[in-house]
Amino acid sequence: MSKKFKKNFAVLIISFLILSFIHNHNLFRKLYNIFVINFESRLTKKHGYCFRESVGFLRMLKKKYKFNFNPLIINYEDAVPSSAWSIYDNHNNTDKNHKILLNYPKNLFLYFKPLNKIFYSEGTIMYSNGISNIIFDLKDKHIRIDSKIRIFRKILNKKEIIYEENFHKLVVNNQIIPIEFKTKKINSIFKPTFIEISDLNNNQIEKINSIIVNLNHEFSLKDFTIIEKFNNCYYVK
Amino acid sequence: MTEIIEILIQILFILFIISFPITLLETDKKSKIFTFSLIDKLSINLIFLINILFFASILNINSKYLLYSYIVSVIFLYFFNFRKFNFKSIKIDYYFLVLLSFIILISIDIAHELYFAWDTQVHWFFKALNFFQDQEFKNLKNLPVSDYPHLGSYIWSFFWKFPSNSFEYLGRITYAFIYVLSIFSITECLKVNIREKIIFAILLIFLTYNYELFSGIQDVLVFSFILIITKFAYYFFEKKFISNRIQLILILLGAANILCWVKNEGIFYTFFLLFCIFITNNLTLKNKIALITGSLIIISLRIFIFNFYDTTLDTSYFEFEKTLNFEFLLILEKIKIITFYLIIYFSQNPIYLLTIPTLIYITFKYPLKNITKFVIYFLILNFSFIYLTYLFRTVEVEVTIRHNMLRVIFQTSGFYFLAIIILINNYAHLFKIKLLSKYKIKKH
Repeated sequence: MSKKFKKNFAVLIISFLILSFIHNHNLFRKLYNIFVINFESRLTKKHGYCFRESVGFLRMLKKKYKFNFNPLIINYEDAVPSSAWSIYDNHNNTDKNHKILLNYPKNLFLYFKPLNKIFYSEGTIMYSNGISNIIFDLKDKHIRIDSKIRIFRKILNKKEIIYEENFHKLVVNNQIIPIEFKTKKINSIFKPTFIEISDLNNNQIEKINSIIVNLNHEFSLKDFTIIEKFNNCYYVK
Repeated sequence: MTEIIEILIQILFILFIISFPITLLETDKKSKIFTFSLIDKLSINLIFLINILFFASILNINSKYLLYSYIVSVIFLYFFNFRKFNFKSIKIDYYFLVLLSFIILISIDIAHELYFAWDTQVHWFFKALNFFQDQEFKNLKNLPVSDYPHLGSYIWSFFWKFPSNSFEYLGRITYAFIYVLSIFSITECLKVNIREKIIFAILLIFLTYNYELFSGIQDVLVFSFILIITKFAYYFFEKKFISNRIQLILILLGAANILCWVKNEGIFYTFFLLFCIFITNNLTLKNKIALITGSLIIISLRIFIFNFYDTTLDTSYFEFEKTLNFEFLLILEKIKIITFYLIIYFSQNPIYLLTIPTLIYITFKYPLKNITKFVIYFLILNFSFIYLTYLFRTVEVEVTIRHNMLRVIFQTSGFYFLAIIILINNYAHLFKIKLLSKYKIKKH
């Protein structure tokens, strides 16, 4: 192979690699988007207007109300970090009277599915101040439970008990059973939650499709004046 | 259109600012520094600049004044050395041009994606914002995770503020600059022609690049500075640089100081690297003293500043009271989990898939060279560090691993590229000789 051919071949490979990098990362399209879509819109598109981090809603509020304080931001969305960064100002103090509730759900609840002999919740909760009631979705019309109900988390095979109470009831399908138990231990986005109903035999467990544990809001909309609202994002005082 | 212009201005600004001081001070061809390549000089300048930024940050010097004095010095040196420059001898450096093209390409990706990683949203951005809004070092105490180092965020804020003071991502372009520079720096160690070096550099970018790295997390800086340290550590094993060792030690210590202030684990990597250099090289007493004293100064400075600003270590991230109970079964269970995830995440990192088998091959196939020992010792220390950290940091080892092990593994991955460099530089010619001899026998 001549030296010139070798050189040209290497240049060809380099060009091919650069082009494939551009193609793989869709850089021409991205360049076009930078030209036609402004920074704020691109940022909102990535972090959401009133979903996920809801950065769009926050930046709109900051622009509209020209905050001279840092409001308290509470995001109910599961598995997203706090979006306070998007409007935070080091020159201002935090005013906890002004709250921004993002992705605020009407009802706070945990949905437990059967897993072997216990029940397991895939979802997690952050801003609850306790258990309100419990609902059993049954295969039959009713089931008799004479046992202990235990809500807990697992940390390396060790149980962290959130709620434990004796339970002696004839449970009707989808009946709301009030509990009213104040606890903040239920709030955790990192650890899965389990329900264990001891002394229940396999036959009885099989009759339970799922369990819903309804929770109380730590920040109830009834307690505040709504200043701005978009879907389920609120600016309240 | 304005954003694209701002991106280009940003890149030119970074280039301008890191052309000081070595490239401008050294016009004498007999100088020892002249043995360094252009990329090396840029790396040295970068280390110098970031150390200046570090001292400015802890001494609460306004970044504006720092920039003015820096720019005045650069312009002065340009004019002072103007006559000494031989403009006719300036050639187009294709290696540097490809490097610049990749910085531009990655900058476009950063400007488009804009997305922040979890840790960035929780604390790294707040640190950058602190310095961007001219707040003092002590104000970090009022922000989340105040015991985490701040230097990466300070770099972000500095280049966010200067020159255009507009979009935050302009500050993160510096991360792209450092990343590409470090990759082109390490591939320079290969004893192949310039086009092949470019191909290797691009392939290394292909293997490591994804936007997540530039989403404000500091791991890419740890990765890049480990690569830069690796490059200068490589020179310790080159005869050409024996007379430059004291300069090399100074450069290494400068980079080590940066690494210590980018992420907490950087302290460990720094000392692993310095320790491995120490034990695999025949250093003179002067060099040994310089290396040990420098390392002690770096660690003392970290402790001193920590105490001076009364920074309290956030113990909520550590559960030593629960983890240091040395329950045998629990430790065994944790080792099982760590090993499992280590294998999973290793298989997800192509650099390890390439370099570790290469390292095993050169270790067992050929007599051990000092540089191979250097890589092996670091590998052992690195692995021990990973195991010990996850064993004793928290109780919920699996949650922690899933949260950050992939990134921890990535941080040091670039270092192992040295295994491929050793193979190509020392043993690749043996393949050629073998192939040629086979061909000759056939022909005969």
